[in-house]
Amino acid sequence: MKISNELKVGITIVVAITIFIFGVRYFEDLPLFQTTYSLTAEFDNAAGLIAGNLVRVHGVSVGSVNAVGISDETGKVEVQFHVDRKIIVTEGSYAVVSGIDALGAVRMDLFLGPRDAAPIPEGGLVGAGEGNDLFGDLTARAPAMVQKFDDVLSGLDQVLSETGTMLSEPNSDLRSSLASVRGSVAQLERLLTEERTRISSILRNVEDATGSIKTLSAENGPSVTKLISDLSVTMATLDKELISLGDASRGLTELLNKINEGQGTLGKLVNDPSMYHKMDSTLTGINALLADFKANPGKYLGEMKLVDLF
Amino acid sequence: MISVQNLYKSFGGKSVLNGIDLEIMEGETLAIIGRSGSGKSVLMKHIIGLLQPDSGKITVDGTDINSVSYADLRRIRQNFGVLFQGGALFDSMSSFDNVAFPLRTFTTMSEKEIENVVLGCLNMVELPGVGTKMPAELSGGMQKRVALARAVALKPRYILYDEPTSGLDPETSNTIDELIQNLADQLNVTSIVVTHDMHSVLNIADKAALVHEGRIHWAGTIDELHRSDDQILRSFVKANEYLIGK
Amino acid sequence: MLQYAKNLLFDPIQALGRYSQLLFKAFGAVPEFNTYRKNLWEQMIHVGIDSMPIVMLAAAFSGAVTTVQTSYQLVSPLIPKSIIGSIVVPSMVLELGAVVTGFILAGRVGARIAAELGTMRVTEQIDALEAMGLNSIGYLIVPRVLAGIVMFPVLYVAACFVGIGGGMLVGHFGGFVPMGVFVDGAREFFQPFDPIFGLIKCLVFGFIITSVSCFKGYYTRGGAEGVGKATTEAAVASCVLLLFADLILAATLL
Ligand SMILES: Nc1ncnc2c1ncn2[C@@H]1O[C@H](COP(=O)(O)OP(=O)(O)OP(=O)(O)O)[C@@H](O)[C@H]1O
Ligand SMILES: [Mg+2]
Repeated sequence: MKISNELKVGITIVVAITIFIFGVRYFEDLPLFQTTYSLTAEFDNAAGLIAGNLVRVHGVSVGSVNAVGISDETGKVEVQFHVDRKIIVTEGSYAVVSGIDALGAVRMDLFLGPRDAAPIPEGGLVGAGEGNDLFGDLTARAPAMVQKFDDVLSGLDQVLSETGTMLSEPNSDLRSSLASVRGSVAQLERLLTEERTRISSILRNVEDATGSIKTLSAENGPSVTKLISDLSVTMATLDKELISLGDASRGLTELLNKINEGQGTLGKLVNDPSMYHKMDSTLTGINALLADFKANPGKYLGEMKLVDLF
Repeated sequence: MISVQNLYKSFGGKSVLNGIDLEIMEGETLAIIGRSGSGKSVLMKHIIGLLQPDSGKITVDGTDINSVSYADLRRIRQNFGVLFQGGALFDSMSSFDNVAFPLRTFTTMSEKEIENVVLGCLNMVELPGVGTKMPAELSGGMQKRVALARAVALKPRYILYDEPTSGLDPETSNTIDELIQNLADQLNVTSIVVTHDMHSVLNIADKAALVHEGRIHWAGTIDELHRSDDQILRSFVKANEYLIGK
Repeated sequence: MLQYAKNLLFDPIQALGRYSQLLFKAFGAVPEFNTYRKNLWEQMIHVGIDSMPIVMLAAAFSGAVTTVQTSYQLVSPLIPKSIIGSIVVPSMVLELGAVVTGFILAGRVGARIAAELGTMRVTEQIDALEAMGLNSIGYLIVPRVLAGIVMFPVLYVAACFVGIGGGMLVGHFGGFVPMGVFVDGAREFFQPFDPIFGLIKCLVFGFIITSVSCFKGYYTRGGAEGVGKATTEAAVASCVLLLFADLILAATLL
């Protein structure tokens, strides 16, 4: 039988349309024949997740993200995604956005709930877990970190100025006070030198990491540049704060020298026992604070530790 | 009725037609004669609106073909059969399909009826059995005759022949002349025959017109042609008489 | 000299004017479906189906070469192999599928159309059509342009299909990137608009190639030499305009 032109053309067009539709669905990672098993997840922060990003369970790709948007009702980030029908997403499952946004490699990790729990129905909501987008966290928390540092320092400042005031009061037991103060200051100084090398090594780490990321992802241009400029602002602020810490301790030393030399109203100070007690407790407070700072610097520099990961 | 009034045409500064005036009456056969390159083919193309005049007017049945819409022009053209000088067969189609083309395009005839008409036309031009051949497989004279068959297939009211017998042997030429004459007599076709062949002119034409230097230098009936002592006409006829040994 | 400058300026503008006039007439003839119905199927075969093998061959090789070259350029161990898929698939879908097909059609179909119509012009076949009372533009040009617009996207789909397939196979069996990884990479960065953009591009390319070639062929003058000239010009003009259109579309739609 001779195939007519109309038929030849028709068949070709139909085949092309079929390949097109199935091809697009294939690369969109939508199942070719069976319907989609779709789910929703809500996050506070999408961390750069976009449609098409992979969904993984134990590191295995099982689906992909269909859409990411801000929910009208809750104002949260609503992520629609789908997974293979074979994966049974049970109650208690939760999703985490992970990967490095700056490198464009964001994905969603799905942690399945207990196997015997009830499965989440089609279109149901999966809970959100903590993310670990390093850059994002770092940038997001940098201001808070600086703020905390600032708080510590201003607290120190206040303590010092209080100390100054107390010293100018009479009726204080100068001898023991001075011994305490000296001990505290020595401790503070030691600590500061220790922590300074530590901080500068941390900063060096940050710089190294930034450098390698810069070369690594030069093509991701704008977002990385933005990130790095944020980082350097953070570091500049840190540096400034460290300088003022140095200034503060220098001021303290100066003050103590003055006391040593018997200047000011120290006579009055010696004659006031209540003042002495007050000052003693204050200094104990500083001591405790410094001891804590030394024993547990992570508490104050916690956020900076993230940088160590590089 | 076709009338040409004061037709001027030039190609890129070279003037070809310099004020042609011509009238062809219903049912008449007009022979247009003239030397090679005198503008006969150009004149013919103006009559069916394939070329637009620089100035002047061409009317077919009273309609100025250069001022009507394209759709109307096409309707007028459907009354014409045209044999081009080079045949102008569609080289992508067989001879049969070439002749059948106007029938398939403009009539609602069945394939069977079309086949009858086509085979009849091919017989008239003495080419039975070339239907399956492609134009490239035919000789120049055969192509011309298939083209003639195509021009007359729809039995149009007007037929324009551009040198229908050039390149043909005397015997086939006579057959073609007879065909032209039959069509004119039996179907009252109005014919314009462009030719160099005085023999044809004397055989088939009612009137003749001589194109010379872009004008109709002489026009008249065949009788008048015999009696005319116009210098240019005489030399043209004489050259032909010598050729055909009359 | 002055004449030359004048020609340089006015000839293209005049050509553009005649081109648009021809398109306008062709557009007006589109409703006369009966005039060109039979030709349409024939042209779809010529433009589309007859071009299929060469288009697929070229596309398969460009897909394969893109895969090999991408993996050659990605030396950093920090960049996952799946990036090869992320690069090859969009390259094919956005650019190569359409442009490779476009160049082949410009050469193959464009030249063919110009030669066909040019020959018909110089042997008075177009005059013969007109003299019968047929709309030669409707009969000759409309089916060719429509066939281009319809069949180009079909060829594009075929080109993308074998191009991506070729890339995948060469990546897998050449040891550059396993198929599954390739597909993962492709999926990760797949934008559903990409193939739509490719299709739009193909509609435009199909229109440009066929209409420009028809224009060159339809207005051929001067015998066999004229036909040769028209053929060359059609292929060259199609390619050049195709590149411009490519840029303009990318700049406006992406
Ligand atoms: N399209 C055109 N462009 C430029 N010049 C043309 C064109 N058509 C015809 N001519 C010129 O017009 C003149 C007349 O040409 P035409 O074909 O009408 O001659 P003719 O009388 O038919 O000659 P022949 O008997 O040899 O066919 C010729 O000199 C030719 O060069
Ligand atoms: Mg002539």
